[in-house]
Amino acid sequence: MIIPFLIFSIIFALLALLIRKPAISHFITFLYSLFLCYFAYYQYNHIGVTESTYFRVDHLAIIFLILQAIIDLYASIHYYNYTKSRGDLPKSICQHNMGRIIFNMSVAGVLLANHFGILWAFMEATTLAASLLIYHDRTVHALEGTWKYVFICSIGIAIAFAGILFLSIGATEAGITDLSYEMVKENIGKINPFWLKACFIFILTGFSVKMGLVPLYNVDIDAKDVSPSPVGAKLSSVLMNAGFVAIFRFYDAIAPSINLIWMNNVLLIVGMLSLIFAVAYIIKVNNFKRLLAYSSMEHASLAMIAFSCGGIGYFAAILHLIVHSLVKSTLFLQFAQMHRIFKEKDYQKMGAYLKINPLGALVLFLAYLAIIGLPPSSMFISEIYIFESIYNSKLWYLSIPVCLLLLFIVYAISVRVFHILMGKGEKTEINKEGKNNFESGLQIAVLSVVFYLGIVKPDVVVHYISTAISTLPH
Amino acid sequence: MTYLINLLVVAYIVSLIYLSKVELLKNYVRILAVQGLIIFFVAISELKDADVLHLLFVLVETLLFKAIFVPLFMQRVIKRSGKAKNSGMYIKPYASVVMATIFVAIAFAIVESIHDKHLEIKYFTAAISSIIIGLYVGINHRDIITHLVSYMIIENGIFLIALALGGEMPILVNSAILLDIFSSILIMGIFLNKIKDYFHTTDDNELTQLKD
Repeated sequence: MIIPFLIFSIIFALLALLIRKPAISHFITFLYSLFLCYFAYYQYNHIGVTESTYFRVDHLAIIFLILQAIIDLYASIHYYNYTKSRGDLPKSICQHNMGRIIFNMSVAGVLLANHFGILWAFMEATTLAASLLIYHDRTVHALEGTWKYVFICSIGIAIAFAGILFLSIGATEAGITDLSYEMVKENIGKINPFWLKACFIFILTGFSVKMGLVPLYNVDIDAKDVSPSPVGAKLSSVLMNAGFVAIFRFYDAIAPSINLIWMNNVLLIVGMLSLIFAVAYIIKVNNFKRLLAYSSMEHASLAMIAFSCGGIGYFAAILHLIVHSLVKSTLFLQFAQMHRIFKEKDYQKMGAYLKINPLGALVLFLAYLAIIGLPPSSMFISEIYIFESIYNSKLWYLSIPVCLLLLFIVYAISVRVFHILMGKGEKTEINKEGKNNFESGLQIAVLSVVFYLGIVKPDVVVHYISTAISTLPH
Repeated sequence: MTYLINLLVVAYIVSLIYLSKVELLKNYVRILAVQGLIIFFVAISELKDADVLHLLFVLVETLLFKAIFVPLFMQRVIKRSGKAKNSGMYIKPYASVVMATIFVAIAFAIVESIHDKHLEIKYFTAAISSIIIGLYVGINHRDIITHLVSYMIIENGIFLIALALGGEMPILVNSAILLDIFSSILIMGIFLNKIKDYFHTTDDNELTQLKD
């Protein structure tokens, strides 16, 4: 099914590009979103099946594939309104729709790949597709953001490829001819640890640009700022998860070797540095969209810290990323509405949102509660697990700086959100027609899932995450 | 034959050191074409036992792509930019040559310290030098055309690592990888032209509007 999926995706992409009527192009993309949902459902029923040597469906892939399908459908509805309100050119809409289909295909390829080379090829394809999405508005800012994104991502992905080649050197010396996950994992003990360490450092550096972590995080922030909000929603959720899955695959393969403690230390350093950088920027940023982007960096760093602690940290990292994807995409999509109303990104110029758009304000408030991890948000549960993993790994002293850094973030986000909700904005011209209760209603439905997950712990979610991490050392 | 290969690898490293001081944009095209040819000859000599399909693939990747397509594409980009010289460097040309030479020495020291008998030291030294000097050139120059060249130099370095490796990835994986690199260069070229059209310059000082 994966090969037909790739072929159909290319056909859909070509149709969306070549039929230069926005309504038809939107319809084709919407059909593709439904097709992606069906594909995720099909794969859900075929877990463990290896297809054509290069692809395999496992529990980790299914979790993020289903999430991708949901968020794509969610964002596609908002994208339709986004273009309608702006009166974009048919050419840019069709190019965007094509880019979106290729982007989804590439992310699905990363999730389902069973070979490190194939994983890399699809990851690079996400960069190329994302460049079309980021450039959508054709403004000077979009051009700058896109150039930086494409250039730094290409450098990052080239560095990651060097990492795969280092793994390949070690594998060739050990007599391994195939870079499929199983083959590498089975023979990991035979590979020279030097090459494994070199591989992991290069992979982490290269894919940090996708997950929004130190060292290559900054182009990711610019990209989320200049791209349309439905694109920012996907970069902050779907692409970030793909970056995590890529790092997970290497970690999973290398973990049985003697490098586990070393790898955990590297992940911990990257996680802590990313958290510090995120705090440093969040407390001074006025642009609300950039605040959301830095907040994604904060949550990616928390997931990395949890992952580096092992044990329940693995579970916490995946749960945290799932919940973060739902909340952050909602925040980006609600921001699209706020931007239509205020025509501003600076939070100081926005205000009295509660009065102007009560339903939108409710979404913003609920999403705020969820993102700062207040109960009953499921992010509260995942953060509790993250701290539990820190304690269990005998790094209890780390919880103090992590807590303090999170306090700064909560303060900075609270100040900005409450200013938008109830403050006095500097902006006098307000476009009340920008509000859309249907969009807000949809966002409330997604947020209710986030709160439901925080109250009830569905067995199916626990089972899938537990199975996904069952191969990791505990 | 080994002597000739050694000579080619030395020529590749010299071209890297020269690249660090280049100011005329047309010289980038020449360096990229020369490097593409060197990589082609080295690859052919190393893969003489490979099957026809792999040889054909390497021929396309090195001779057609690296030695012909990329330099011609760069020539077009440079012609369209209307510039003869790059926008300047942060570290002066003579100091850059010294820096590049130091980077080659560091690369050699790193490779020597690995102590891996399977590793082709000459290729690996050239590869690591290429990656480090590529990054250095990208950071040291203000011109986005030079940034694109630095990316290609890094890609050449990565190709040399693959050569030092000796083993081969499946042809399908190799094709996907080549297609991606090809597309990324094309897309970067397109955006570079758009930047030129918008700002009437390719100086990256113009690209500083996105701030917190």
